[in-house]
Amino acid sequence: MSEDAERKIQAYIKNMPSLPTTVAKVLEVCNNPKTSPADLNQVISLDPVLVGRVLKLINSAYYGLGQQVTSLVRAIIMLGINTVKNLALSSAVLRNLTSKKDFQALDMDGFWRHSLCVGVAAKVLAKKRGVDPKQAEEYFTAGLLHDIGKIPINAVLSKEYVMAVSISDRERISLHRAEDRIIGMNHAAAGFMIAKAWKLEGAVGDAIAYHHSYMEYTGPHKDVVYSVVLANRFASVMEIGFSGNRYPEKIDNAVWEYLGLERDVFDEIEAVVNQEIEKAKIFLKID
Amino acid sequence: MLSVRIWGDRGSIPCPGPATVKFGGNTSCLEIRADDRLVIVDLGTGVKPLGDWLMGNDFKKGPIDADVFITHTHWDHIMGFPMFTPIFIPGTKLRIRGPVSYEDETLESIIGAQLSYRYWPVRQSELAADITYDQLKETQLDLGDGLTVRTKYLNHPILCLGYRFEYQGKSIVTAYDNEPFRNVFPTDPKDPSYDEDAAREGELAAREENEKILRFFKDADVLIHDTQYTKKEYEAGKLGWGHSSYEHAINSAHKAGVKKLVLFHHDPNRTDEQLEQLEAEYKHRIAGKTEMQVMMAREGLVISA
Repeated sequence: MSEDAERKIQAYIKNMPSLPTTVAKVLEVCNNPKTSPADLNQVISLDPVLVGRVLKLINSAYYGLGQQVTSLVRAIIMLGINTVKNLALSSAVLRNLTSKKDFQALDMDGFWRHSLCVGVAAKVLAKKRGVDPKQAEEYFTAGLLHDIGKIPINAVLSKEYVMAVSISDRERISLHRAEDRIIGMNHAAAGFMIAKAWKLEGAVGDAIAYHHSYMEYTGPHKDVVYSVVLANRFASVMEIGFSGNRYPEKIDNAVWEYLGLERDVFDEIEAVVNQEIEKAKIFLKID
Repeated sequence: MLSVRIWGDRGSIPCPGPATVKFGGNTSCLEIRADDRLVIVDLGTGVKPLGDWLMGNDFKKGPIDADVFITHTHWDHIMGFPMFTPIFIPGTKLRIRGPVSYEDETLESIIGAQLSYRYWPVRQSELAADITYDQLKETQLDLGDGLTVRTKYLNHPILCLGYRFEYQGKSIVTAYDNEPFRNVFPTDPKDPSYDEDAAREGELAAREENEKILRFFKDADVLIHDTQYTKKEYEAGKLGWGHSSYEHAINSAHKAGVKKLVLFHHDPNRTDEQLEQLEAEYKHRIAGKTEMQVMMAREGLVISA
C-alpha cells in the first residue's frame, strides 16, 4: 500500500465519524433530561463507533483512571450519567457523520446489522460456555467492533474497495484476501490502527486484528478472538446482516475444539441472538 | 503540625441570617496548614473572610503563597474567588488545581470567567497575583516540604475530587460533594428496561467503587465528609443529587478507622437549632459504639490531625 493511502486512512481514523443509524437516537436520548442510565447504556451499546469512542475517552489520560474500563455500565456508574452523556453527544455530533458516499462498497445497514449480530453472538456463546459474566461485555465489544477497519478503507479508498468487493465476488474468495490484493492492506490491519488510536489494545484490539488470521494468534486473549471468529461465522451462515464478504472462509476445527462447542450450537443460539437484534431494532426504530 | 480551619461549611448557596449564626452561612472553604505551608480547599464564599484574615496576619510576614484545590467547579465552590483579596496584591502566588468535566473549557476559564466585566468590575487579566491553573485527575502530588496530596474521584453529577493531604504521618481527607455509588440500572426483572448483565455489572461496579472510597479514607486522622441530608431525607427524594446522609458518612468513616469525622456541607435550609439537635442525636446514637470523634462543621472550628 502506498504511504499516501496509509496517511489518508490515519487521517480519517483521527476524525472517525459515528454511524448515522444511531446518531439521531443518541441525540434524542442524551438531550432528554429524563433519560435513564439503562436507556443511555442501550443506545450507546448499539453503535460500534460510539462504543469505541466513549471507551477511548474514558480510558484516556483525560480521566487518568487507575483501571481500564471496558464496560459502559461501569463507566456510567463511575463517571455518572451526565459525563457519559456528554462524551456520547460530543462523539456523535462533533464528528462529521458518515455520509452515504463514504459507504459506496458496503451497505451501511447491512454492516451495522452484521456488527451487532457478531457482538451479540460472541456474548451469547461466551455465556453458554460459562465465561465469567463480568467479561461478557468484552466479548460483545470485540464482536461489535471486529469489522471496524472496513469503515476507513471504504471511506478513503472507495474506488479500490468497490473493486475488492467485486473481485471477492467474482473469484469467490474471502473479502480480506481481495483487500490485500487490491489495496495492499486488509480491514483487520486497518481495524488494528483504529484499535491503537482508540487505545483498545488487549482482547478487543486482538479480535479486530486477528479475526481472519486467528491461526497465527499467540497472544493471551485467544478465548475472545476465537469467540469472535465463531460469531462471525455464525453471522454469515445465518445470513444476519452483510458486511461485504460473500465468500467467507470456513473456520478451522481448532476453533471449535478450543471453545469446546459442537456445530449445532448455532441452532441453539439463533433464537436468542435474533431476539437481541430485534430488541435493538425496536429501540432504534429501524426496519 | 497538620490542621484545618473551617471558613465555610454550607452547601449550595450562602445563607446568612439569624438562623445560621452559630454554624455559619458561607459556602465551602477550608484552610489547611502544614506548619508554614498554606493549602486552601475550595473557593466558596468562606474564602472572603479567609482572605481578609490572611491579609491581616500572614501578609505581615510576606506575600501570600498558597496551593488551592477545587473539589469541583459547581458555583458554590468557586463563587468567593472574586472577593479573595490576595488576588489583587502583587507578589501573591496561587497554584489553583481541580478537576474539569469533559467539555472544552479549561479550569482557568471556568473559574476566571467570574472575573469578566459582565459579572465583576475587574477582569482576570487585570489581577496582580501570579496564578497558575492545573487540571487534576486521580493522582498523587508531592507539594514539597513533606506535604503530599492524593486525589480520588467521588460520586457527584460533575467530575469531583476528594483530597487526602498527608504530612509527617498525619492525614486530612475531604470527601464532598459525594453520594455513595449505587447501581443505577434496574434490578427488577419485571422492569421493562431490565438487563441481567447490566444489573449484575452495576451492582459490582457500585460495590467496588464504594470500597475504593473506603480505602481512600483508611485510618485518616481527620475526614471532612458531605452530610447534606439525613438518611430519611436522602431516601425520600434526594437520590442522585450527589450528596450523602449523616448515617452513611458516620458508618463509612467508622468502617475505615477514621479518628475525627467532620460533618460538612450543611443544607442551606438547616438552622443552627436543627444542626445542634442533629449533632446531639447522632453523637447519642453512636455513643459507646465507636472511638471516632464526630463533630458538626462550624465556621472558625480548628481541628488538628
